[in-house]
Amino acid sequence: MTSSSGAARKNLSKIACNRLQKELVEWQVNPPTGFKHKVTDNLQRWVVEVIGAPGTLYANETYQLQVDFPENYPMEAPQVIFLHPAPLHPHIYSNGHICLDILYDSWSPAMTVSSICISILSMLSSSTTKQRPEDNDRYVKNCRNGRSPKETRWWFHDDKV
Amino acid sequence: MRVVKMKWHAVASWTWDAQDETCGICRMAFDGCCPDCKLPGDDCPLIWGVCNHAFHLHCILKWVNSQTSQAHCPMCRREWQFKG
Repeated sequence: MTSSSGAARKNLSKIACNRLQKELVEWQVNPPTGFKHKVTDNLQRWVVEVIGAPGTLYANETYQLQVDFPENYPMEAPQVIFLHPAPLHPHIYSNGHICLDILYDSWSPAMTVSSICISILSMLSSSTTKQRPEDNDRYVKNCRNGRSPKETRWWFHDDKV
Repeated sequence: MRVVKMKWHAVASWTWDAQDETCGICRMAFDGCCPDCKLPGDDCPLIWGVCNHAFHLHCILKWVNSQTSQAHCPMCRREWQFKG
């Protein structure tokens, strides 16, 4: 159900490959708190385990993020989605898509997988209700044939959660 | 005593005068070069923005050219303008 544009993906450019290797080493030395990288031999798709922070609505719950890197990373943001089941959160759709500006319009090549993870955990931690976005059903229906969240025209209206 | 120098050999070292050690885009050392180049030096120069952040010229060009609207500095998000 989640969008796997795997077949259409091109190989990583040299700069992307280099940077991801560096990020991986940096992650191994200094992983962001609450995250575990699941080791595979695929540099272009990372699966990262997230553990809800203590004292928040998601404490002790474990989720999985899938991070797919485009050929021209870091000039273009990676595609980041939650694998099923996605946490119940006002900015996370049931198909795993995340409404978070840095993953789309506000991406900067100075960001890393690690900094994205920290932003996502902070978004989870500041949530006060466990519920889906209001337009969940309509949005998910629109994405049925495996559309990437990067093709969505997002509206970022709420910076509190 | 008089010493006559028959020949001599100069050795110099250089470094870019940047505040950071690595390029925020490719994460390679400034004393090295961007991943697309082989040798550090004038062929893979650093460039500064008006905001005073430095990057490999090749890296910031890739970022600026990949943006459809005005590019921002990857570090501080200010409008990217090359420092004259």
